[in-house]
Amino acid sequence: MKTVNRRDFLRTSSAAAFFAATPGLAWSQVVGGPGPFDDYKALVCVFLHGGNDSFNMLVPNTTAEYNAYAVSRQNLALLQSDLLPITPASSAGPDYGLHPAMGETQRLFQAGRAAFVANVGPLVEPTTRDQYFQGSVTLPPQLFSHNDQQDQWASLRGNVPSKTGWGGRMADLIRNSVTEQLMATNISVAGTDLFQSADETVAYVMGANGPLQFEGFSTNPEDIRYEQRQAFLRIVDASYDSIYERGFADVQRRAVDAADQVSAAIANVPPLNTVFPQSQLGTQLRTVARLIASRDELQMQRQIFFVAVGGFDSHDDQNQNQPGLLGGVSDAIAAFYDATVELQVDQMVTTFTQSDFGRTLTSNGDGTDHAWGGNQLVVGGAVNGGDLYGNYPVLEIGGPEDVGGGRIIPSTSADQYAATLSRWFGIPEVDLDVVAPSLSNFIQRDLGFML
Amino acid sequence: MNNIRLVSLLASVLLGLAGCGGGSTPEPPVVAPPPPPISKAEAFRFLNQATFGATEAEADALISMRYEQWIDNQMRVPMSSQMPHMLALPPPDFMGQLHNDRVDIWFRNSLHGEDQLRQRVAFALSEVFVVSQLGALQARPFAVADFYDMLARNAFGNYRDLIGEVTLHPAMGVYLSMLGNRAPNEALNIRPDENYARELMQLFSIGLVELNIDGTERLVEGQPVPTYDQAIIEGFAHVFTGWTWANAGWFNNRWPPTSSQYLPMELWPDYHDTGSKQLLDDVLLPAGQTGEQDLADALDNIFNHPNVGPFMAIRLIQRLTTSNPSPAYVQRVAETFNDNGSGVRGDLGAVIRAILLDPEARPANPTMMAGKLKEPLLRLTQLYRAYEATSASGKFPLSYLHAVFGQGPLQAHHVFNFFSPFYAPPGEIRDAGLVAPELEIATEYLNTFFTNFILWQTFGLNHTNPNLEEDQIYITFQQEMDIAANTAALVDLVAGKLLGGEISDTLRTEVGGMVDRLQPTDTALRAAEAIYLITTSPEFAYQR
Repeated sequence: MKTVNRRDFLRTSSAAAFFAATPGLAWSQVVGGPGPFDDYKALVCVFLHGGNDSFNMLVPNTTAEYNAYAVSRQNLALLQSDLLPITPASSAGPDYGLHPAMGETQRLFQAGRAAFVANVGPLVEPTTRDQYFQGSVTLPPQLFSHNDQQDQWASLRGNVPSKTGWGGRMADLIRNSVTEQLMATNISVAGTDLFQSADETVAYVMGANGPLQFEGFSTNPEDIRYEQRQAFLRIVDASYDSIYERGFADVQRRAVDAADQVSAAIANVPPLNTVFPQSQLGTQLRTVARLIASRDELQMQRQIFFVAVGGFDSHDDQNQNQPGLLGGVSDAIAAFYDATVELQVDQMVTTFTQSDFGRTLTSNGDGTDHAWGGNQLVVGGAVNGGDLYGNYPVLEIGGPEDVGGGRIIPSTSADQYAATLSRWFGIPEVDLDVVAPSLSNFIQRDLGFML
Repeated sequence: MNNIRLVSLLASVLLGLAGCGGGSTPEPPVVAPPPPPISKAEAFRFLNQATFGATEAEADALISMRYEQWIDNQMRVPMSSQMPHMLALPPPDFMGQLHNDRVDIWFRNSLHGEDQLRQRVAFALSEVFVVSQLGALQARPFAVADFYDMLARNAFGNYRDLIGEVTLHPAMGVYLSMLGNRAPNEALNIRPDENYARELMQLFSIGLVELNIDGTERLVEGQPVPTYDQAIIEGFAHVFTGWTWANAGWFNNRWPPTSSQYLPMELWPDYHDTGSKQLLDDVLLPAGQTGEQDLADALDNIFNHPNVGPFMAIRLIQRLTTSNPSPAYVQRVAETFNDNGSGVRGDLGAVIRAILLDPEARPANPTMMAGKLKEPLLRLTQLYRAYEATSASGKFPLSYLHAVFGQGPLQAHHVFNFFSPFYAPPGEIRDAGLVAPELEIATEYLNTFFTNFILWQTFGLNHTNPNLEEDQIYITFQQEMDIAANTAALVDLVAGKLLGGEISDTLRTEVGGMVDRLQPTDTALRAAEAIYLITTSPEFAYQR
């Protein structure tokens, strides 16, 4: 009963065997996809749950633009003198400033290792304020709702109900190029996420500190716990009538298969010198760094990691909480970048943020509400850094991109953002529209922030 | 045929109550055969839907009184509360540590409370009307405990009263930031907070799109119809202005007296928006109403929306009986919500009865999509109830559970609960258009942790361990040890307690095989082995 549903996990032989046993069906006929890879690359998605108020993360720092920002944001505006100034390389226009808690990001930006993408968000097609109010364009459904917009970022499916994520679709597209990998392409250290959900491949979810061992099992046949492991697996592999039993048994099987191998590979990795913050995000990214360090042992060539941190839904107490939130992201991502330098993979690893949505420019007294477009951060040695991509919006209430209350229409789509990262990752041009289904509705297929 | 109707008809005939409908010719009494006895396996299924875990003793009680009477009894027994326990505690070093005591009393009530059905429904409601100790309520343990008591108190009450109490509860006020929400100040670009307005509609009452009575989406020209738009959210956001802690002293007081954590929020009229407000169904609240009038009208407006019946039917069916109810099942429950038979809308007691007594919850031949996966917390409570878990101190210090099980009592990571009602794992479940919400937290990591947890609980933390600490929870399996030399009898005994005797041949063979590898004199190991393998099996994880 279980011949196919876990075939994508331990890839050494099972997938090849499955197709070898299917006459007339060759890998290359099943999917397109790139040829075999001769290098290693990893994408790390940092999801900021709740909707990051990113117009306080990246703020205009020239007089007219700053003043418009300050008038809109009132008691939530940062002082101009507190901003950490950055000067985008290709910008003839305004300078910008970072939130004062993001000193580490300023360092990476100035070193050319970090870039920002301005006012990006879910869109089905280019959308103006007039079109929005006339209803003459297709909009992503349920704008301003947390879980729906998280799903939009994860799936990029516009108004098609989302079943797979763009990370999952990338893993499916390259699956016959990475058949030697001993672990799934998609790894989450932050729970199940639609971003990594796929039709053909299965993401592997581990804890913030990495995978756990089964304490009751041993792989040494001399040990009674070996028999216990085998009995457990025979129970798991039995045929079950209920879909819930089968779904549960599949997870148990994957967990046992992975636990020993991955734990052993990680245990063999020498400790990192880079010090990570003792935060949720710092812990998760440290685990990702250790997994990357074990890539050769696990024969990994392409990896997509999902990490996440919550608390960004700042309806209340925004001024008090934002320094800790943004400082936490900045410090953890910078530590992770430093770890990739230590591991000599900084050119091969790209970290990028996503979040439910940007937040209203207007205040609800001490916080902000759900909005739409926002700014995102991309970090890595392969990033064309020190620059700002996309168009930074006019931060005016009732301005040309405001659909009410300072909810800003994105000028760049999440599809364009994802496609730019996917192309770097090795997805062929022809398959980018599979990763980012609305890409063809936009002229610019590559935002240019990857080298 | 519908056994339940026959049974109640038969009961009324026997009690001489039949035929009082006003008809001129009395109907001849219907002679129905007595309903077949409830099997032990059927009793286990029902009790796993309606309690924190079936036990053999409760199954015997159920079999002797049948489903309807068991429910009647349950709706009558006094409620177990958290607040008396919380209020009797000595003052803490810091407020947040009382969440440990809150989780402790949650376990005591859930494991030992006589009011099992009420507590189980309260838990289900706590997964719909989500507040959590993780986040803004970290320092408000009394608010969280009182919120749970409030859910339990309303478990068989009316939905309209429930959303009234939810709305004004300070736990919800803090969690979704209605507390301290105030009228707009356009000069300062300040407008009302939309958080509660949005989630009340999306998650607690009507959902995002219009539903048919059977819970399917209503389509117009093939497209779903949104239930509300941004203007309506803003209308409700304006309604929910002017409320703050009871006895706040001043509107923005962040640290009111401790007792304010468990008193309904109070209105400060100066902070309430007095303009007109756009609600659902083209209703416009007139300007100039008081905050109380606005609130009552707005909650009535939501309560009377046709989505509430099917929406709540699906939410509660999924928490109690099955992940994938048929449209007909949803419709039967939604119709009960809309009218309990006496013309009352929103009777949750009637809804719970309808969910549990529905033929689809009690199928003779379950389909492959019948039932659901048990939540890890409910797997644990079932084990604990079957094996009389306790500690020397009587405490259940399990407040860390959320980190290792993916869930704990009022410990969701966000208002969307531990898992989504729409979660469909890749593979056959998604391909068939079905869902399995609980599988969202059955990750490789969490399943491994659960499996290890059960290993420690069975082999280590049991009544034979002489080194248990005061607060360490242990299970008791003396009965199993007494017969442990007889492998077949041991497997039967454990399968009887955990599976109601319904055990597959594979599981029986494998458990027996492992037990046989242990010396007949190692009775504790043999007992632990059998309990470990069965509690971690797919069969145990499945609620039939």
